[in-house]
Amino acid sequence: MNPAQEFLRRAAEKSGDLNHRNIIRKNMDHYESRVVVGKGRFANWNAARDQCAAIRDEAINNLDKYLLEFEARVKERGGKVFWAETGDDARAYITNLARQHGVKRVVKSKSMVTEEIHLTTALEQTGCEVLETDLGEYIVQMRKEPPYHIVTPAMHLTRKEVFETFREKLPGVTSDEPVELVSVARRVMREAFFSAEMGITGANFLVADTGMIAITTNEGNARLGTALPKIHVVVTGIEKVIPRLTDLGILWPTLAGAATGQSLSAYNTLIGGPRANGEVDGPEEFHVVLLDNGRSELLNDAEQREVLRCIRCGACLNNCPVYRHVGGHTYGTTYQGPIGSVLTPHLRGHDFDHLSQASSLCGACTEGCPVKIDLHHHLLRNRRNAVEETSRPWMERIGFRAWRWTMLGNGRFEFLGRLGRMVARALAGTPVDPLRKWTAFRASPKLPQKSFRQMWRDGDV
Amino acid sequence: MAMSEIANPGRERILQRITKSLAEIKVAPPHNIMPTGTSAFAIIPDLLERFVAECKGNLTECVLAHGDTAQKLCVLLTQIPPGEIFAEDTPEIRALLTGIDRDVRWSSDGPPRECSQATITGVHLLIAQTGSLLVSSSLGGRGASVVAPVHIAIAHERQLVTDVEAALVWAEEQKLATTNSFVGVITGCSRTGDIEKLLVIGAHGPKRLVVIVDRDCCSVL
Repeated sequence: MNPAQEFLRRAAEKSGDLNHRNIIRKNMDHYESRVVVGKGRFANWNAARDQCAAIRDEAINNLDKYLLEFEARVKERGGKVFWAETGDDARAYITNLARQHGVKRVVKSKSMVTEEIHLTTALEQTGCEVLETDLGEYIVQMRKEPPYHIVTPAMHLTRKEVFETFREKLPGVTSDEPVELVSVARRVMREAFFSAEMGITGANFLVADTGMIAITTNEGNARLGTALPKIHVVVTGIEKVIPRLTDLGILWPTLAGAATGQSLSAYNTLIGGPRANGEVDGPEEFHVVLLDNGRSELLNDAEQREVLRCIRCGACLNNCPVYRHVGGHTYGTTYQGPIGSVLTPHLRGHDFDHLSQASSLCGACTEGCPVKIDLHHHLLRNRRNAVEETSRPWMERIGFRAWRWTMLGNGRFEFLGRLGRMVARALAGTPVDPLRKWTAFRASPKLPQKSFRQMWRDGDV
Repeated sequence: MAMSEIANPGRERILQRITKSLAEIKVAPPHNIMPTGTSAFAIIPDLLERFVAECKGNLTECVLAHGDTAQKLCVLLTQIPPGEIFAEDTPEIRALLTGIDRDVRWSSDGPPRECSQATITGVHLLIAQTGSLLVSSSLGGRGASVVAPVHIAIAHERQLVTDVEAALVWAEEQKLATTNSFVGVITGCSRTGDIEKLLVIGAHGPKRLVVIVDRDCCSVL
């Protein structure tokens, strides 16, 4: 089964799964109620979006300058920077580092880039134990599932399902009360934080003028993961750079507002290098792995360069009616929802062109985007690119030619329209009904007796 | 081969691709971005009032003191289970803890241990708009505000600033980011909503965050 067929199979399965739809509805209702409050904290939410988009645009349109500035500052602070063209390069660098330092245990904070390059599997193959420390990530790691959502990886699970997973894997779990489940996870993680030799995090932003990485969490796992292990490795995309420290004054509140509706997430953390002279704690080594993996190609696309502005808040997923019905795992990609559908064909090629069709083009994603990425139009552009850059099936080519020929002739249009209505009436509900995929679960719309043209001629309108 | 000597041919290739793309393709400013200089936030008339309200919202316990910070701290410490507490080693905090009958590990002795029951640190600034604390590694280290189940922050009203941007401008003026390997903005205690979006506090870090704000103009804090 190719990725497009697999998408359709999963989408049909998930759309009909009422339990799944209930849990997603519950999550999304909660999100919506919080985000309304979050946006209400701004006197002018749109001004915040404008400012954030302008900052990200400035960074992307001067990417080489700011990346070099960031690199120079990190080195001044005693950190190391590795530029990885591909996931293979990044994995090789990090696994080599782990091997050289005899790392046995790694604590990892939530990072979509590490998911993109399948870092955990690579580290496990070298004999390291890798523990996800974000609770949602930890839950899906135990279940051997990929993250369901870029912000809330275990959104698809009920507390009962989480309880079952915990009971199977961890001793001493007796209740599905979230407080108890969290407290068990806290105990396990504490031990890991204090014994791990390496902490791996992503980065929400790379601050060029200070050479610091900015990480946002609510749980505080990235705080512990960057304070306790001897080695801190940051794995991040090259597009995450921002020019100035003070830019975070608007980026942090806007990220929190769009992602969870908070005024700020609980821990907004800036890390620059290993422990400095005279400091009490912190790692001995600090490595930043800057991943390209197709991003620089996107920079070369005049229409779609702005996609690199994305700050991975998850708002477009939450707003998308398709995501809400088919769920995150259906996409079969690291990045799900509208941003994933726009980005994945650029990162993984034409096998993922079908994702651009997984949209009603309603524009809710664009409306919700805190950095004003014109997401639904990018989906249209991806559709166009897919047609131009790949060979299409002969049925599709003939079909569109016939459609064009019909639409360009007045008489042809009227005649074939009448014929179409007759055929549609005759075949409705039969096994050969061309609309059966739609009508199998829905009542057919009633076809009118007369076309609009006929009604116009007869003076009915 | 030592890590510092590892060849990185990808660096030049990535930079070449970026530079070439930026030189060849100039993207016009997007039509939908119009930064007008309009502030995204409303003016805050009373910083302390807003700070207290925001703390309530983000589950920070804000205790107002009027020259009696030591007494307030003493009362708080009676609520902490027996065991070691960790404190940032400053003359002010040493003075506040004088006469308190607890095992104290000072930051000058090393980082907080896993068994720490509470940590006590200062803050650089209080951020009114979000009820946040600006901290850095110079205030007892990276772990000082996150390792123990309770974090008690000692502050003075004069440390209040309007918003995150004002705090970051101050940080830049004070070279906070260049002299510290860690700078953080803390807004409430550790939390998660990963199970059915139900809020649970104390996911990894403190279950309680208490900030004592002294309003006494003569206070040495």
